[in-house]
Amino acid sequence: MDDLTREFLIESQEGLDRMERCLTDLEQHPQDGELLAEIFRSVHTIKGTTGFLGFSRLERLAHSGENLLGLLREGRLAANAEIISALLSLLDALRAILGNIEKEGSEGEGDDSAMVLRLQALSEPQRAVQEEPGVQRSRKKRRQTTKKSAAMSAMAISPSSQVQAAGQETPQCSMELYQAEAQVVQARTGASTAESTLRVDVDLLNRMMNLVGELVLTRNQILQRVGADSDLTLLSRRLDMVTADLREAVMKARMQPVSHVFSKFPRMVRDLAQQLNKRVRLVMEGQETELDKSLLEAIKDPLTHSVRNAIDHGIEAPHMRTAAGKDAEGTVKLRAYQEGSYVIIEVMDDGGGMKVERIRDKALERKLITRERAAQLTDRELMQLIFLPGFSTAEAITNVSGRGVGMDVVRTNVEKIGGKVEIDSRSGKGTTLRLRIPLTLAIVPALIVRSRGQSFALPQGALSELVHLTADQAKAQLEWLEGVALYRLRGKLLPLVFLDALLKQCREPMRESDVYIAVLNAEGRRYGLVVDGLADPEEIVVKPLSLVLKQIGLFSGATVLGNGEMALILDPGAIATRANIGMALEEDVHEVVEAEARNGATEYLLMQSGQEQMAVPLDKVLRIERIPRAKVEWLRGVPVLRFEGSLMPLHSTSLPGEEMTVVVCRDGARHVGVAVCHVLDVADGRPLEEAGTHAAAKNVTLLQEKVTSIIPLEAVPALPAGGLEWNQ
Amino acid sequence: MSAAIATEDGIEMCSVRVGETLFGVPVMRILEILGQPATHPVPLAPEWIDGLAHYRGEVLTTVSLRRLLEMPRLETGGDVLVFEGQDGYFGLLVDQVSDVLVVSPADFEGNPSTLDDRRRALFAGTYKLKDGLLVLLDPERLDPIRLTGMEQEAG
Repeated sequence: MDDLTREFLIESQEGLDRMERCLTDLEQHPQDGELLAEIFRSVHTIKGTTGFLGFSRLERLAHSGENLLGLLREGRLAANAEIISALLSLLDALRAILGNIEKEGSEGEGDDSAMVLRLQALSEPQRAVQEEPGVQRSRKKRRQTTKKSAAMSAMAISPSSQVQAAGQETPQCSMELYQAEAQVVQARTGASTAESTLRVDVDLLNRMMNLVGELVLTRNQILQRVGADSDLTLLSRRLDMVTADLREAVMKARMQPVSHVFSKFPRMVRDLAQQLNKRVRLVMEGQETELDKSLLEAIKDPLTHSVRNAIDHGIEAPHMRTAAGKDAEGTVKLRAYQEGSYVIIEVMDDGGGMKVERIRDKALERKLITRERAAQLTDRELMQLIFLPGFSTAEAITNVSGRGVGMDVVRTNVEKIGGKVEIDSRSGKGTTLRLRIPLTLAIVPALIVRSRGQSFALPQGALSELVHLTADQAKAQLEWLEGVALYRLRGKLLPLVFLDALLKQCREPMRESDVYIAVLNAEGRRYGLVVDGLADPEEIVVKPLSLVLKQIGLFSGATVLGNGEMALILDPGAIATRANIGMALEEDVHEVVEAEARNGATEYLLMQSGQEQMAVPLDKVLRIERIPRAKVEWLRGVPVLRFEGSLMPLHSTSLPGEEMTVVVCRDGARHVGVAVCHVLDVADGRPLEEAGTHAAAKNVTLLQEKVTSIIPLEAVPALPAGGLEWNQ
Repeated sequence: MSAAIATEDGIEMCSVRVGETLFGVPVMRILEILGQPATHPVPLAPEWIDGLAHYRGEVLTTVSLRRLLEMPRLETGGDVLVFEGQDGYFGLLVDQVSDVLVVSPADFEGNPSTLDDRRRALFAGTYKLKDGLLVLLDPERLDPIRLTGMEQEAG
């Protein structure tokens, strides 16, 4: 395929995507001239280029579409559902041909006469045209009866002479006129975007990302070797800063707004609603939220599936909605927003919600759960059953009118890219599905663990906590049941997987040294991975493995660590499967129940700072690190911490000792570090009332029967503006 | 050195040594030679995988010729030849890379019939040199994807 054709394909496909968006909008605002102009432009561009490239089928179709659009634009015709449907099928026809050109280099065989006639008939409202066999039209009878003779002549129009036929209705010259006009408009809008944007090959971006990854590694190695030489220190800092900026810029280049995926939905929702005889309104929010291109591709299917589910199983039929006292038109809301290093995408519907009885019956029928167990589960616990593999089958689609068709696939796909899926549903009110997607796939935060002298990277996404046992503790506290190792984590048995035994690095799993248990939660399965040692967490650059090594099935990639050593990236889900770890339904649910039972009380992380005890809400805590005091730097009087290329303000009181503990917390979108001597415990806090006011006292809570101050994270000063420049 | 490789005068072969045997790989097929790179072992990988090496920002899967020939692993690393395979680049670990030799097509003979099946599948033939034999290696036969297929057939 030559460059010209390729360029044409890309441009046309973009044009058609735009047209699709505009068409569905047009249905809501039939009089919007700008939308019409936009659609006209897309079709017109295709027509113009195809003639030049010699794609006659495309040209003919585009031409007949353009005639109709011209009338709409002039206001001689009003857009109605019939016209929009016809234009949408024109769009599909154009897309199909473009697809053919892309695959085979030619337009392929096909008869477009029916399409052309349909468009033509719509653009000649004054004439009565008899139903042509094979042409789908639902014209009003009234029009068919008028001017019989005209109908005959319209029928006689052969496809090749349709240009003249259109010319009879709209004089040729006026058509030329608005074509020229359209070109002017196109030139105007085209220039503004063409000058500031550039199309870049995704492969090139991937390569750039790779190189930046290399640069990050080299930088890390240089930073570790910089000695007392002050010049070199200064230079290396500069390198550090530039690398961080460059990495951010390249990552930004790979970002695309979620509207790229969202834009498919108005059409899909429209078609699906019509097909199911439902009335659905689609509301989209936060379309400008950006996500890495590869991730955007990866969530396309799960998201489509979720939206489908919302309409198919969520939104009820109009008469049922009216009977339930709701608006006959259901609403599906798609919302995207960024939260920390995640993008949250919510699919909300105001439909019937999930019927827990149905889910329970289905799960029983499919033997996913025993009757005794089912009787113990709460509604919320039952809802999680839809994520079990095997819950959804082809049969489920016809039998179950609740949710849960292919939800395990949605979950698996989202977790594959390091994301999470949550579901929340209220019977009669609706369902919300929440997808948590990491911002980027190429660089992931990971904990480096060691097993028999070798380093492995464990993605932080799956990690819920770490347990350290000394050799003696390990001997006493690891329990064995017929060769299976277990650990009592807060009274519950946690199945253990020994990494060295799993990887066949050694014969005997028992050891005489300290062990670390990484408590993992992978695809709903909870287990402890036992390793010999831990190294620092690092942001790792993921490198794909060759097919032969992928076949091992336990590694999702490899990476080069800051010290130059290579490490394989462990796949927590695959390890769970290999080790036969089952669904930890009870465990998950238990926590939820606890959270509800606490009712008003919040969990706090209790810390010791000098003589005083302080606390931060546990849900704000991101991670805890032990760092040397010397790492604290000052920026215009504000203590800051440099961490993996980013800067974080620090809440710090003067502390003794060489080392300190930094609790990294989330405050809105920013991260704030709290420096303390050490962390004490996690405890429930009760609000305290200020005497005489009946109001909860601010920033104080009762923790373990002691009055404890809560650190106001929002009061930690922000980084000084322009501080980075100044710091150089 | 001249770029002409398969002239009538001869073919340029990069000679490599594994144990006692001298092997030859057509120079044109070699993308790069990594001298004594650090390789990282991969648990659970097939026996003949030496591990991963760092190559131009990518992770290179390295096949050990020694282990393919069921010889014990060498304590002191070795050199890695980089080839392009069906699934991207791969490396071949040999004991040592030595001179480039020019061999004549006239001196070529197929594998001896007495060679065991495994070696017959790996070797592409022999060149008779003045002072010994040079076993021809064809990178396509050493591609990890092909080796996996071979193993599955055998096992």
